[in-house]
Amino acid sequence: MSLENPFQDPLRFERRVPECAVVIFGANGDLTKRKLLPALYRLAYEQRLSSGFAVLGVSRTPLSDDKFREHMRESVKQFLEDSPFDEDVWKAFAQGLFYVPGDVGDAASFGAVAKRLEEIEAQRHTGGNALFYLSIQPSQYQEAAAGIGAAGMARGTGWRRIVVEKPFGHDLQSARELSEKLHEVFKESDVYRIDHYLGKETVQNILAFRFGNGIFEPLWNRRYVNNVQITAAESIGVEGRGAYYQEAGALRDMIQNHLMQVMSTVAMEPSATFQPDAVRDERAKLLRSIRILKPEEVAENAVAGQYGPSRIGGVDIPGFRQEKGVDSQSQTETYAAVTFFVDNWRWAGVPFYLRTGKHLPKRVSEIAIQFNAAPHAVFGEDRQGVTPNLLILRIQPEEGISLRFLSKRPGAGMQLRTVSMDFNYGSSFGERSPTAYETLLLDAMIGDATLYTRQDMVEASWTAIEPIMTAWHNSKMAFPNYAAGDWGPKESDAMLARHGHAWRKP
Amino acid sequence: MTATIQPDTILRELSELWVSLGKEAAGETSAGVLRACAMTLVTVAEDSEDASLIGETVAALMREHPSRAIVIRFRPAADRALDARVFAQCWMPFGQRRQICCEQIEILASDLSLPDLPGVIVPLAAADLPLVLWCRSARILGLPGFAQLAGVAQKVIFDSAVFPDPKAVLSDAANRLREPYALADLAWTRLTCWRSLVSQIFDNRSYLASVPSISEVRISFGGASPPVAAYYLAAWLLDSLERAGASPKLIWEASDGDAGTFHKIALIAHGSAELAVRLEAQGSAVDVSVDHLTACTKLGSATDYDLLREELAIPYRDPIFEKTLMRAARLPHLS
Repeated sequence: MSLENPFQDPLRFERRVPECAVVIFGANGDLTKRKLLPALYRLAYEQRLSSGFAVLGVSRTPLSDDKFREHMRESVKQFLEDSPFDEDVWKAFAQGLFYVPGDVGDAASFGAVAKRLEEIEAQRHTGGNALFYLSIQPSQYQEAAAGIGAAGMARGTGWRRIVVEKPFGHDLQSARELSEKLHEVFKESDVYRIDHYLGKETVQNILAFRFGNGIFEPLWNRRYVNNVQITAAESIGVEGRGAYYQEAGALRDMIQNHLMQVMSTVAMEPSATFQPDAVRDERAKLLRSIRILKPEEVAENAVAGQYGPSRIGGVDIPGFRQEKGVDSQSQTETYAAVTFFVDNWRWAGVPFYLRTGKHLPKRVSEIAIQFNAAPHAVFGEDRQGVTPNLLILRIQPEEGISLRFLSKRPGAGMQLRTVSMDFNYGSSFGERSPTAYETLLLDAMIGDATLYTRQDMVEASWTAIEPIMTAWHNSKMAFPNYAAGDWGPKESDAMLARHGHAWRKP
Repeated sequence: MTATIQPDTILRELSELWVSLGKEAAGETSAGVLRACAMTLVTVAEDSEDASLIGETVAALMREHPSRAIVIRFRPAADRALDARVFAQCWMPFGQRRQICCEQIEILASDLSLPDLPGVIVPLAAADLPLVLWCRSARILGLPGFAQLAGVAQKVIFDSAVFPDPKAVLSDAANRLREPYALADLAWTRLTCWRSLVSQIFDNRSYLASVPSISEVRISFGGASPPVAAYYLAAWLLDSLERAGASPKLIWEASDGDAGTFHKIALIAHGSAELAVRLEAQGSAVDVSVDHLTACTKLGSATDYDLLREELAIPYRDPIFEKTLMRAARLPHLS
């Protein structure tokens, strides 16, 4: 007898969450209010959750279940993106919301959580399935995992999984320590390291674009690709997160995780199947193929920047060192650009430029794949203003794909101009795309780890980043070196110029 | 062929339409219009039907399934008349700068001109993309020339709920499965909510373990005989249960409800794995009870838009539907 549900119809039925409880540590925090609860509510609205679905919020603030529901109602209404708020759906969803006050630092709190979880399991028939979401300070991850284990919550009659937010450690050593601590309680297959970039529709679409179409993959290699630029630019500063950011910096905060995961998606080999581990194996292989910089190569291949004060649109913008909670002599980079080379047959010699920064001219995340120029200038050498073929995969704000190519200008003569062919996700399909957290939470509850980061991927990216961190740590930077509102320091332009390239201005 | 419309003329009008839309949009927003097309959707309807209602449904579908839309409106006249007009459906997606537009071609045809239509539709169809034919009328589906028109489609969608004799329509539909196009019946699509609820119950492992012991499937319906949907549901339940090792007996129960509807299903297992699953319609909701636990679930809406939206997402053959249709056509007729 098969244990598969015989009533399944994968063509028609949306992926559904089996009965389960989500236990959120840090239930009063910003992430819960802005992202997690709106995403869960939206899944309820889409009828993806089982009728017995439950959320158990844990946080230090003493709150009753009803007060928690009230707070979450306000948050969901406020932070729901492109979606209606339906009172009836909320009422049914809110019946499954529970709260228990507790402090991650207090062992007794975990006993109370375990007791409440048991009650909820009996009341809501969650089948013993539980997802623990650590929406807390990264420094508390180990303590929280240990507490869950000590209270006997890591094992039950159903599945038990844990979701942790980045940063996964602050260097290779601490990442390994964190994994070891998590593995004392949870198996690696039950640890879900969330990188919300991977949940974005366009990042997933990279896989569809590359491996679902026959025409692009043959061009996707060193013979045709000249360079790849991955940009995650923010137009705002640290916005009150100065103290946290001062400890992290752009390299750790963005490049080590988001951008390297995006890079691995762009450059990985096709996996044999779309099974989670098959895809993650290829991502991990790519990350392990990144050439590790020698200490003497760091200065040529990595640039740190920090924004200084400026005036934008008539508004005075303070420099990073003038931000609240930031040391006036801070050596933390708010901009980082790195040149990576991938040592494999497909990509040998092709530079991958990754950059991220605060207070850049606009908020934009994209991947630009620049192809080699035509081998012979049939239309003459005067090609001023003509850019090479570019394939741009836009992650935000307007998710989509653009292809830049040359076209003849209308009229007599043979003058060429660059034109853009655009595919815009939002306007090509009028339907709304799920938010990254909807996608990733659904995946975690279903047990699909394809878009989650595995330990070996985390370690491979730290391994590639560490020489840069060490070199920067041992240097005294001449900060600030770019004005808020600029595209980063001049050294960053020089880094590309050495290879005969220039940054795109998105 | 005596068609009084020329595909080339329509295509030229479409081209001019795009140029003018582009100019208008450039003037207003400088961002231009975006042309999107994922298929050709041909809607076949009676001329007496509310044109605006069909137009609204087709326009709403464009957001998820941008298409070249062709609406053919038939009137039972004695002449071989054809006429056409071209226009665009445009909208500005929320928060976007650029409007999105889809083409719509409306063709007025008499019954006698049905054989002329494939010659008009083929050149008008968007190249290299699937052509889906949605036939809203039982009368037109039965016209002798319909098979030719259906032959140009990759998928034909009809609604057996509008047919008077459920068994006859099931038998006819089962015969159509031999055709090269995929077939879809909106009466089956309406069941997705119900089927999904049943399936969701058995996502629970303890209930799933009882499936091989289910020995009774009860379906109650209003009126004198079960509607097509009830036959589909019975066939699907029996097939699914048998695949899991059960040998259930089907029991029909006539009730006082409205004719042409079914309102209750029950799956019952006796013995050591005792289980009783009941789903009962209560207006727009369904009461689901599993043993002694009950819950009320709202049924999603099932407008033409909702049903088409689901079907257009499956532009190929649906093996579960086809298997169910074959089984439903073989079920003993209950009159």
